[in-house]
Amino acid sequence: MTTIKQLFCTCIISFFTITAAAETSVIVSASNGNASIDKNTISKIFLGKSKSFPDGSQALPIDQNDGTAARDAFNSNVLGKSASQLKSYWSRLIFTGKGTPPKQSGNDSDVKALISNNPNMIGYIDSSAVDASVKVVHKF
Amino acid sequence: MKNIAKNLLLASIGIASSSQANDLNINGFLSVGASMLDNDKVEISGYDTNGGFKQDTILGLQLSKQVNDSTTVTGQLVSRGSEDYNTESAWAYINFAANDDLDLRMGRLRVPFYYYSDFLEVGFAYDWIRPPAEVYSVPFSSVDGVDATYRFSIGNWDNSAQAYYGRYTPEGAGVDLRNFTGLALSGQTGDFSLRASYHRLEIISDGTGSFGAVNQGAAALIGTTGSALNTGLLAAGYSNQDIAGAVDDFTLTGQEIGFYGIAAGYDNGDYSAIAEYTQSFGDAPFIPIVNTYLVKAAKRFSDITAHLTFTSSETELDSGINETIQKSLMLEDKQSSIILGARYDYDSSSALKFEIQQLTEDMRSGAGEIDETGMLYSIAIDLVF
Repeated sequence: MTTIKQLFCTCIISFFTITAAAETSVIVSASNGNASIDKNTISKIFLGKSKSFPDGSQALPIDQNDGTAARDAFNSNVLGKSASQLKSYWSRLIFTGKGTPPKQSGNDSDVKALISNNPNMIGYIDSSAVDASVKVVHKF
Repeated sequence: MKNIAKNLLLASIGIASSSQANDLNINGFLSVGASMLDNDKVEISGYDTNGGFKQDTILGLQLSKQVNDSTTVTGQLVSRGSEDYNTESAWAYINFAANDDLDLRMGRLRVPFYYYSDFLEVGFAYDWIRPPAEVYSVPFSSVDGVDATYRFSIGNWDNSAQAYYGRYTPEGAGVDLRNFTGLALSGQTGDFSLRASYHRLEIISDGTGSFGAVNQGAAALIGTTGSALNTGLLAAGYSNQDIAGAVDDFTLTGQEIGFYGIAAGYDNGDYSAIAEYTQSFGDAPFIPIVNTYLVKAAKRFSDITAHLTFTSSETELDSGINETIQKSLMLEDKQSSIILGARYDYDSSSALKFEIQQLTEDMRSGAGEIDETGMLYSIAIDLVF
């Protein structure tokens, strides 16, 4: 009985550990002037509806490659759209010349490297990959 | 000599590096389809009971390039199976971004008649194999001219206003569409979207071509003493003055046509719905008023989307002598369809679609009463690349 209880506890603990590990951070370069950015503004930047940060400087959204865990989490939590819904959203804009989707630029470390060097860029990475070269402006 | 070679070399390096710096974007879409109609007494343009592969087949290639900070050029070539793969520039324009919120374009543009006008032929961007012909019935989709698009927010609504002016001369139709102007407003908040548009154009016909000749012929018949139409009108008690007025009304050239459309959409990721209503109207009874609508509901099950659409189109005749003439020229048209379909997204840039359409034709322009029902079975694959 005790064993079952222990097992149950271990399961719950590991469940929370997994959830905590999957936290994703929206990041900008450490030299970017914005302190924190709300979800709605981030969503507008990544959907091509806004081209600037709250402080007025130019914003360049950077996506991770299709299929990474951070990208799936970002799509569903921040943009609220599935991969195929997003593809259909962008095909409506691409073929009218109204916009192009953010560049797909690799995984957590590729995106972090890009963003740390460019104060205009904004991206998202797993929170465990965050270091002093970038600044977290939103977490989910 | 050596210097020239060296300069050429430097110049070519310069060109190569600048084309790398400014991306040339190449995008494309391809739809391939097959369809079969079960009743040859109903008419759906281009589809027949022997089955076919080319009616829904469309290839589009788009090139766009940012020339400098504010200027972009875009060209889109579309080759349609329904037009024997003649290639047309659906878009060809220069865009000047005056600021973040205002775009000015000049060149060949899509007329923003409908909710789906901007991406009319990009099958991947919607659930149907093709937008319902009852509503999406204007036989051309481009205009040569200028437009301005302004984006603005009101509260939680992201909106845009687009105004255009231009001219369009369809090939071989003998008509020139001038002073072609309109306004399209759209707004979006969360899962909801709304759209309204209004358009006007002036028809100039030289009496030649497929459309011009038919119109001139019809107008002449009304006024020609001894023609069945003229005799009938006199017998119905109309005076020669009434008839002369009708000849003027039915002569298309110089007449104005108007069009408006309203649409509302909802999409929460699992469920989506759209309703669209349009009316075309004007001074020209040779082109009667047409009211159309569609209502569509869809449910997404992961990669599969099931959808159901009701759509209808019906002409509205004038009154008095013009109605009598419209009836005898058989300009009445009334049809409706129920479309049941499924879309399967087998990866993030391709979709497989099935559709069954039940078409009921009550009246057909040029043929009068029809009262026939037919089924159209279609399958298509849509890709974007």
